[in-house]
Amino acid sequence: MNPDRTTHQLLAIVRELRPDTDQSGGLPGEGAPAIEVRGLTKTYRHPWTLRETAGLCDVSFDVRRGEVFGYLGPNGAGKTTTLKILTGLLKPTSGQARLMGRDIQLVESRRPLGFLPEQPYFYDYLNGPEYLEMVARLSGLGAREARAAAIRWFGRVGLGDRPRLVLRKFSKGMLQRLGLAAALVHDPALLILDEPMSGLDPFGRRDVRDLILEQRERGVTVMLSSHILPDVEALCDRVAIVLRGRLERIATVGELVAGEAPRVELRLAGQPMLEWPARFAGEMDRTRSGGDTVLTLHDAALMQELLGWLVSQRIEVRSVTPVRSTLEELFMAAAEGAAIQAVIPAESRRRSA
Amino acid sequence: MNALLIAQNTFREAVRDRVLAGILIGGLVLMALTRVGSVLAMGEDLRLTVDLGLSSISLLGLLVILLVGTSLVAKEIERKTIFNLLSRPLPRPVYLIGKWAGLTGALALVALVLGTALALLVTALGSPQHIPAIAQATYLAVLELSLLTSLAVLFSALSTPVLSALYTLGMFLAGQWCDDLRRLAVKLPAGAREVLATIADVLPNLPLFNMRSLAAAGDVTGLAHLGLATGYAVLYCACALALASAAFESRDFK
Repeated sequence: MNPDRTTHQLLAIVRELRPDTDQSGGLPGEGAPAIEVRGLTKTYRHPWTLRETAGLCDVSFDVRRGEVFGYLGPNGAGKTTTLKILTGLLKPTSGQARLMGRDIQLVESRRPLGFLPEQPYFYDYLNGPEYLEMVARLSGLGAREARAAAIRWFGRVGLGDRPRLVLRKFSKGMLQRLGLAAALVHDPALLILDEPMSGLDPFGRRDVRDLILEQRERGVTVMLSSHILPDVEALCDRVAIVLRGRLERIATVGELVAGEAPRVELRLAGQPMLEWPARFAGEMDRTRSGGDTVLTLHDAALMQELLGWLVSQRIEVRSVTPVRSTLEELFMAAAEGAAIQAVIPAESRRRSA
Repeated sequence: MNALLIAQNTFREAVRDRVLAGILIGGLVLMALTRVGSVLAMGEDLRLTVDLGLSSISLLGLLVILLVGTSLVAKEIERKTIFNLLSRPLPRPVYLIGKWAGLTGALALVALVLGTALALLVTALGSPQHIPAIAQATYLAVLELSLLTSLAVLFSALSTPVLSALYTLGMFLAGQWCDDLRRLAVKLPAGAREVLATIADVLPNLPLFNMRSLAAAGDVTGLAHLGLATGYAVLYCACALALASAAFESRDFK
């Protein structure tokens, strides 16, 4: 194989594979936001000491109609607090929010809403269809319609073979599926899902992913929080990262990834002994893998130059792979950054004292 | 409509709960045992049977309220089942009214079963003329229990199951003595008199629902008494539920 030809072919492929940096464009069907959050703040006051703890600080964002919106953050960051305020379970200390244009203070704002709480709990003495029928009717469906929807969704989430089993005998995964059916039973226009993949096996996760994508196809707006970042990356149009009660970042997954310096991995045949030009020093790492040499170039802008140099040195380049940071890596970096920022002011305060 | 759904669900929960079935069976056994005690009643066996039978309706109903009613809302909050309900277009006061109505329905069923059993027993003893009085007394017992349920819902919405059980029991006991408190208030100096009279007015006037002695003698009460008791119970329940709703409206569910 002619190394020059292979390298040129690879260069052409790389040009095609180069991540599209213009992914921040609008989504189809943009209109009034499905969820509008403005300056939402929640503080908890200890009943005895009256000491206040901030749960959420001045959070503002919009979720567009028809998009899947990921809401990420470590435990205690304020994710569930936000979702509970939106669903009427917590009262905000200040700020406003609207669901489908309706103020969350109004009970009617929850009519187009389907909500899956984290680790949903149900009535032990009911069976699945009974429960689904009840919640469907609470969301406004008529008796006959609710019964039909309950049976349909009970089967749709893979529980249809156990219609008489009481809920106290359900496994954790079965309860999670039932919770999802309860959120969907009245065909809501807006879904808020708190950790929808929690407690599910890989098959269950795949089913839930498919269900969420199906809802997106139907035009349903989905806001979800999850710790399973590959799922978020696969599902979400945009992602918000919340840390210590503050919204740190909000962007499309493409924007988040595009914002990072792109890396490129080059696999060279064998382990050539080379004297690397100084301009590449510090810009790449070299490792050995299966008898080949793997170069990880931290600055993709240098790739053409490096490839040209390798060709001139008659080195066979087996592959060139652009490497994107995963959402998980970006999330961890953001969390660590926020942790450092929280420590620095404390340190400086201590020094000045 | 939604209140009816919550009531239906609460009724179903109570009926499927083993506590209710146990108490119902216990009540029937207790009623049968009154026949054993009547041997010692020296000719007053029918009176004793009716009195104990009607007392068992009230006391077993109270037991259901203490065991089920006082955790009616608190258990839902503790077990987070309330998240699935209040995240729907369900106003919080409607939820509370539904819980109260559902348990009141279950208590009415208990009272109906025990009252019917008592009526059958007195018929078997050759005194069917007691049945109208038993029916009236049973109706008043249901009103009394519905009133206590509204208090249980109020306390359950604000407190833990144990504390709300204690508060409800306290209100039941204090309510039995509210006539005595009123009589005592008259003898006190001004100031203390008004305070005690107000307390007596706020406490549920439970003697209003007690016609056991009358029924034991086979006597019926007037429609005015039944109407007054009904009006009082409706008003008291409305006040207790309004208070519960006001407190529940601003509550956070973490």
